[in-house]
Amino acid sequence: MPILLGGTRRQPLPDLALSPAEEPARALHVLSLVGQALRFERPPAPAQFTVEHWPRDERRLLPPNLRGKLVDLLYSRKCADASERILAWTFARTRLRPHPFDFPSIREFVRKYAQHLGVAAQHWAQRDTPAERRNEYFDAEEISAKNWTEAPRAGRLRFLEDMRQHDPAAARELLASAWGREEPETRLRLLAALQTGLTEADREFLKTLDKDRAPRVRMLAQRLLAKLPGASGENPALRSCLSRIQKLQKGKLRRSVALKLELPANVKEQAASRWIQEQFEGVCLEELANALEISADDMPSAAKEDPNLLFALALMASREKHFALLESITHLLPDAWGRMSAVDDEEPSFSDAAERQEWARALVHPAQWNPEVPYPAWDWLLRRLEGPLPQPVMDELLRSKWWSEQAASDPPPRPEVIQVICALCPPQPRGQLRGQVEALAPESNLEGLLLLDILERLESFA
Amino acid sequence: MTELSLQKIEAIAPDQASLQAARKLMKPGIWSGLSTASAGLVWGECQGSGAAPYRVVISEPDSGYKCTCPSRKFPCKHSLALMWMRVEGKAAFADAAPPAWVQDWLRRRRPAAKSDAGDEAADESAPRPAKNIALTASEEAATVDPISEARAAAARERSRLERESSVTAGMDDLDQWLTDQIDMGIAAFAANPGKACRLIAQRLVDAKAGGLANRLDELPGYLYTLPDAMRPVAAIKELGQLHLLAEAWRRQDSLDPELRADLRREIGWSLTREALLDDRSALRTTGTWRIFATIEEAQQDRLRRFETWMWRESPGDGPRFAVLIDFVPLAAGGARNPWLKGERLEATLVFYPSPLALRAIIGNMEGSAQACHQEMQLPDSGLEAAWASWESALALKPWLRVWPLQFRGTQVRRSGQQYYLCSTQTAIALPILRPQAEMVAPLLCVERVDGFALWDGSWIRMCLGQTQLGFWGMP
Repeated sequence: MPILLGGTRRQPLPDLALSPAEEPARALHVLSLVGQALRFERPPAPAQFTVEHWPRDERRLLPPNLRGKLVDLLYSRKCADASERILAWTFARTRLRPHPFDFPSIREFVRKYAQHLGVAAQHWAQRDTPAERRNEYFDAEEISAKNWTEAPRAGRLRFLEDMRQHDPAAARELLASAWGREEPETRLRLLAALQTGLTEADREFLKTLDKDRAPRVRMLAQRLLAKLPGASGENPALRSCLSRIQKLQKGKLRRSVALKLELPANVKEQAASRWIQEQFEGVCLEELANALEISADDMPSAAKEDPNLLFALALMASREKHFALLESITHLLPDAWGRMSAVDDEEPSFSDAAERQEWARALVHPAQWNPEVPYPAWDWLLRRLEGPLPQPVMDELLRSKWWSEQAASDPPPRPEVIQVICALCPPQPRGQLRGQVEALAPESNLEGLLLLDILERLESFA
Repeated sequence: MTELSLQKIEAIAPDQASLQAARKLMKPGIWSGLSTASAGLVWGECQGSGAAPYRVVISEPDSGYKCTCPSRKFPCKHSLALMWMRVEGKAAFADAAPPAWVQDWLRRRRPAAKSDAGDEAADESAPRPAKNIALTASEEAATVDPISEARAAAARERSRLERESSVTAGMDDLDQWLTDQIDMGIAAFAANPGKACRLIAQRLVDAKAGGLANRLDELPGYLYTLPDAMRPVAAIKELGQLHLLAEAWRRQDSLDPELRADLRREIGWSLTREALLDDRSALRTTGTWRIFATIEEAQQDRLRRFETWMWRESPGDGPRFAVLIDFVPLAAGGARNPWLKGERLEATLVFYPSPLALRAIIGNMEGSAQACHQEMQLPDSGLEAAWASWESALALKPWLRVWPLQFRGTQVRRSGQQYYLCSTQTAIALPILRPQAEMVAPLLCVERVDGFALWDGSWIRMCLGQTQLGFWGMP
């Protein structure tokens, strides 16, 4: 073989008993014989194989007849982020997992949402990561105080909030022990958990955050301190807000209070929501009400002529989970949630699904208002809810003029709009929604229908 | 319920020739699986000139249609024939639930399109030639003139002899070219095979040895898929086969008839479907077949090649494996293999003559192919037995390129970035095609894989696996 590889001009072939005597026939004969002999040779096995450490995944696999639909949906160019999200959460909630044989076909989905899909998916998502940089695998039910720092942020937050409910001191100490190693955004999110079960015992820790490097962390700490009894009352953020709020007396016979927020001259209307969010971030409802000498419950009606101030109140009521007040505000300002979505407001962090549902019921009134640019707003709502809308809200949405117009529009709604509405639909009204979506054109409804199918089957299989 | 009519069919036919061709297809014997469902859906499979039948579906209410044939006329003759048979009641249509391929079409079609043939748009402004169904009957079966037929036969024989001579000359040129490569060294060839292969391939095309020309056109691309260290040895294997074929050509009269027939097809002589069906001595095997691989590749000669690999589930004598091979022009655009992995069909396959019965066409089918997710009852033979089958096959057909392997009790393992299909009992480990690395990686999590693969002498292409977690590789 070396002669064949190097060339017979360098070295002639030796005489072989079975080959012709003359060239070039001999060389060709040898080439064929050697080639054919090589084809019968078994390839050598490697000296060693990699030892694989696939973790044992206790979750059940999704039903076999859903595999194709899941891949079809996630592989489609028209698959929206909303569909991916709701599927990931549904897998987590139902304790099911995608089939590992399908991971290559849905690799992006697995990579983005591995923490919701089980330990096999987490292993797959990290398989190209060097061993020293890999995270431990977690399924939500396995987080404890010992491995808490290794878990994904969402899981850690939930663990901390749960812990605050039955052992607030231990939760605070757990947070304090990890504090110095956390990123600013993580510190902010985890600190918000101290709202649950906030007591005087938290004061010392909160005071240390006065020197935190992140301004938003400092502001949140100040806000929490302001809620404790005996707060000094000096809140620079409150002072700044008060300087922009006018309090007027209206009416001749029955005097009523009217409040008006004055925006700075250099803040344009389109930037107003962002400015308001930042301005009122360090202020709570009670201290504002006290400062204005008006009850918190009366503030919405006093601000009813001023959408910007109503929006500020909505932000605070939402953040403080004052849902009854929030509802009274949003009936006066039904597009409040649209404005929140535009600034991508991430407050509050919710304790559980029931709290999210209560918040949504207070915030969203489809009979009164729906976003003109539907997908970003509804998608924001989906992200905040981490699941479907409350059924009464969904029922209202399906009866709304906006939805009727969407269903009848020409051209038909964009596929991502249909998908986000399907993602937001709780189980009960799905049949009604399906009927309406089926009537739309295939280029609009295909992915939405697939999503409904998959959600229903996952939930019934769980 | 039907809104189709002969007038409608005349109106939508692209030209008279299409109607003429459609009439010839109105023989229930060449159709299988003729069925209908509510909402005016009608479908069936029509045996064309390819190895596999074409799948045709029409929608009566709006005259929509879809056919998997590569024709650039819309509607094609198959669609017209199906409509025609439906309108005239010339065949029985069973009530059935639409199979997956019909549902897929329904899902994807735009509502009430003027033309339902994908990207083609009817040119409304162009004058349309007159079409008349009645004329097709009078143009049928022209009388045969014996003198003309004799002249034609003589011309064909002259042409055949010229071609034989041309191919022989081409083989001499091939051997000369191979000698040059040996002289310079196969390692040097393997480092830069492109231009050298293109020149000799062109020569072989001129010599009317198109099959060999394709081998040479594909060789550089194949070598480039291999790691550098493997290329010289692979080149020896491939070039050795080329001389083997050339030498076999010269000695073809001394070969067994089946080997000779296989050799000639390998060189580039084709056997038409009709001729194969007419050959009563051709091997026929009836059974239940499961499709375990569908492969599609674009060739250098501007054809797209569809391979459908099947395994006979039903017991009995005859080949266990078969491959259907069809070619469509690349210009046919979105043509797809009509078959899906996992489908099961009841069919009689007719095998091309060869010492190793493998390539076949469908002689006839009972019903349509059906999607099937049942596990297959595979014989209890492992990778060692599969390797032995490759050795036996290679001994029977020395220029064999790809061979199907069926196995049980294997495992997928990894060494570095290379994946292997390994026996759980012995040390045999066959390297898996590198582009499949990501797809086979999840198989690392199962202890055992039973299934099918294709071996090309250097790499395993994993096709279908049955595992404790279910099927791998099923669409």
